[in-house]
Amino acid sequence: MKTILRNFLASESSRESLWSKSFRKFRRDRFGIAALIVVGVYAIIALGVWVGLWGQNWSDISDEGFQGISRDHWFGTNLIGQDIFARAIAGTKTAFEVGLVVALSATLIGGVLGAIAGYFNGTIIDEVIMWLYGCIDAIPFYLFVAAIAFAMQDMPYAMHVAMIATFWSSTCRIVRGEVIKIRNLEYIQAAHAIGVKPLTIIYRHVTPNTFHIMLVQATISFVGAIKSEVILTFLGLGVQDGVSWGTMLSESINEVLRGHFGNFLAASGFLFVLVIAFNMFADALQDATDPKKISS
Amino acid sequence: MAQEKPLLTVENLSVEFTTDSGVVKAVDDISFEVAAGEPVGIVGESGSGKSVTALTLLQLVPDPPGRITSGRIELDGIDILSKSQAEMRQIRGDLASMIFQEPMTALNPVFTIGNQMTEVIRVHRKVSKKQALQLAIQMLDTVNIPSPEKRVKQYPHELSGGQRQRVMIAMALSCDPKLLIADEPSTALDVTVQAQVLKEIHRLQEERNMSMILITHDLGVVAETCKRVIVMYKGKIVEVAETKELFRNPQHPYTRTLLDSVLTLRD
Amino acid sequence: METIQYAIRKLLYSIPLLFGVTLIAFTLMVYFGPDLTYSLLGKSATPEQIESVRKQLGYDQPFLERYLMFLKEVVTFDFGNSISTGEKVSSILARTVPVSFAVALPAFIISNVLGVGLALIAAYHRGKLWDKSVMVFAVVGMSMSYLMIVIAFQVIFSTSYGLNWFPVQGWVDPIPDYIDAGFFETIYYYWYYYWLYVTVPTLTSIFVSLGYNTRFFRAVIVEEMNRDYVRTAKAYGIGNGRIMVKHVLKNAMIPIITRIIISLPFVIIAGNLVLENFFGIPGVGLVTYDAITNGDLPVVKAVVTWTAIIYVFALILTDIAYKLIDPRVSFTK
Repeated sequence: MKTILRNFLASESSRESLWSKSFRKFRRDRFGIAALIVVGVYAIIALGVWVGLWGQNWSDISDEGFQGISRDHWFGTNLIGQDIFARAIAGTKTAFEVGLVVALSATLIGGVLGAIAGYFNGTIIDEVIMWLYGCIDAIPFYLFVAAIAFAMQDMPYAMHVAMIATFWSSTCRIVRGEVIKIRNLEYIQAAHAIGVKPLTIIYRHVTPNTFHIMLVQATISFVGAIKSEVILTFLGLGVQDGVSWGTMLSESINEVLRGHFGNFLAASGFLFVLVIAFNMFADALQDATDPKKISS
Repeated sequence: MAQEKPLLTVENLSVEFTTDSGVVKAVDDISFEVAAGEPVGIVGESGSGKSVTALTLLQLVPDPPGRITSGRIELDGIDILSKSQAEMRQIRGDLASMIFQEPMTALNPVFTIGNQMTEVIRVHRKVSKKQALQLAIQMLDTVNIPSPEKRVKQYPHELSGGQRQRVMIAMALSCDPKLLIADEPSTALDVTVQAQVLKEIHRLQEERNMSMILITHDLGVVAETCKRVIVMYKGKIVEVAETKELFRNPQHPYTRTLLDSVLTLRD
Repeated sequence: METIQYAIRKLLYSIPLLFGVTLIAFTLMVYFGPDLTYSLLGKSATPEQIESVRKQLGYDQPFLERYLMFLKEVVTFDFGNSISTGEKVSSILARTVPVSFAVALPAFIISNVLGVGLALIAAYHRGKLWDKSVMVFAVVGMSMSYLMIVIAFQVIFSTSYGLNWFPVQGWVDPIPDYIDAGFFETIYYYWYYYWLYVTVPTLTSIFVSLGYNTRFFRAVIVEEMNRDYVRTAKAYGIGNGRIMVKHVLKNAMIPIITRIIISLPFVIIAGNLVLENFFGIPGVGLVTYDAITNGDLPVVKAVVTWTAIIYVFALILTDIAYKLIDPRVSFTK
């Protein structure tokens, strides 16, 4: 069926670039657009905290502890009387910082190593890179993170490094597979044969055909990073100073047993909405950039 | 001789596909007939709508993205387009069967030939597994596969391309269909095997006096097997003619181009 | 026979992997890891004591020397004693692995079976309401933090703010000596307490993993549904349900089984740090968590090594499963 459709549509599809086509496709995806808007709002909040417009008073003790929901405190106050809403806002910045640093670095490392491994497929370079991610896949995630935290003693960026060190492997694997596939395409082989420079081939064919994969991988890593931050912080391997949704959720563990749900609701709500928006954005992105997808 | 009612009548059939770049008419208002026992060829380049036409005859066009927008199909007195998918299941493989282009992938790789053949037989005929297997072996013998008792225990990948296509033919004919739709049955095969498979199809069609629609992009294939040819271009039928007549005196410019390409290759 | 030969060959091929895992573990945790001298001796140690302990721990040796020491432990499966409790590491694992297994297994099975079932339903109704509902459910499940679900489920099932049906945390104690329980009473006792403590953790892990499983399985099944043999089966009048359950599922089984088997070692050996820690279940996860926070290297080393070894076996197992499913797979090259 697919072949028939593809043959059939081959005559139909104009020679527009993958990107403008993807963009057009994405624009028609209502959920994708909505998700992007939500992510955008979060990004603005995070940016505002970063440049100091709002969310600076998260550590101030502004009131009595465990205040209920009120006009002053939208989610109440925590044990020592800090405003929970302000902390959730400040936590947005932490989430974006962790997410962006990890997603960009892991995707970049994974993409580059994957491209190298794929391009030198069958050589010792490929073997070494495969061995490297094979090893990382064989170590339980939290133990690996703990090991890196050990090695880096109490450096504040231990968590970031640990996540980057594990997250690159899936991107690397996917990009490697894709590059091998592209390399074996007949027209690439033909380009090789008639003497087109390897750099030109990489620029013209390999890069555009893997970039969308890396974009999707970056969004997936971003989500993975902010979700892992929560767990790692709970395990005592995460955010050391500053506030994050992870620290808030960890604080809330004992509070909820005594009926104080402010921290839990605020952190869960902020986290859930951002992650679901990002997941939906990643899905829409994947749909829009997948050249194999033909129907809407 | 009195004019018999044709086995298959297609009237004003249109099929559309919804794609990213809008709605495309894959089949555009076509009508044709196939008489009982008559082999007819549908010729056209890829994207001309010939395969979609074939799939539509058995309501196999996936919806979405495909949609039958108008038309009537009557097969052996049955109004095909009024049938539900469940009702179509009774017809597919029984009254009308189909052979596909890729014998490599058209069979399920993880089940034996016998398993897949008996499954089809038992869907349409109330027979025991043993009887079905017996029938399957008999069918494999009919399509000239050597030692069929052994073949039924084998998996598709253990057979050659030509043999796989013969298995497909055996499967298609196992319930004695009145109409056989062959969608590029020889295209994916080696040149030497192509001729053998086509000859096989031709022989079986004559022996069983089946109607047949042979879909191909190659006029040469049609010349050897079909009495009548339908030429399709961009979803429309541009010419219908007796095969001999078509070769002698093509009417449509597109047919002439198609013919030229065949003739230059032959010379 | 062919299979055994293949398994042995694969085992030999996996030596570099085990080598790499131990090298990474050693470099991070031992070589750059924390200095254990003071945690062994306390703050008021004499320089001579410090000297001797450092020598004992091998801190005065070069990298290679120390790595070989580490490797020796791995090869002999002798990881020594826990630094914090002094218990033999092997006996710690023997005690805790069954507990983790008992906690993780019901959830693991239910989540995968349910995932395949939901994926089949979604794929069968592709693009329709059922599919969309299942996928929305999956994305929602995927978007919740583990910790969030753990806290929420605890509140819902184990506190007076919710149903208050189950204890907040804990694990089955052996029957006290003074109770003279018969055979059936004993079974009933363990069965009852087992479900009392395992239910909420099980629900939690099902909820956490089901979204991911369903999505993955659906993607695999949908891809398989686009294959030519599905069209063939349809063209011969075989029913959609039968096509799904017979033709599609068997072909989709390869990626499905791979995912299940590969995740098994992490479920059994690495246990579940968060879950066990949160519900106070004395499994490998809890021990590992304690080991991480206390710097108890022998325990961490043992867990990492065993996971890697079982991972290697799982990889081999998936290959053997391929052969059982797909007749095209051959072990002889």
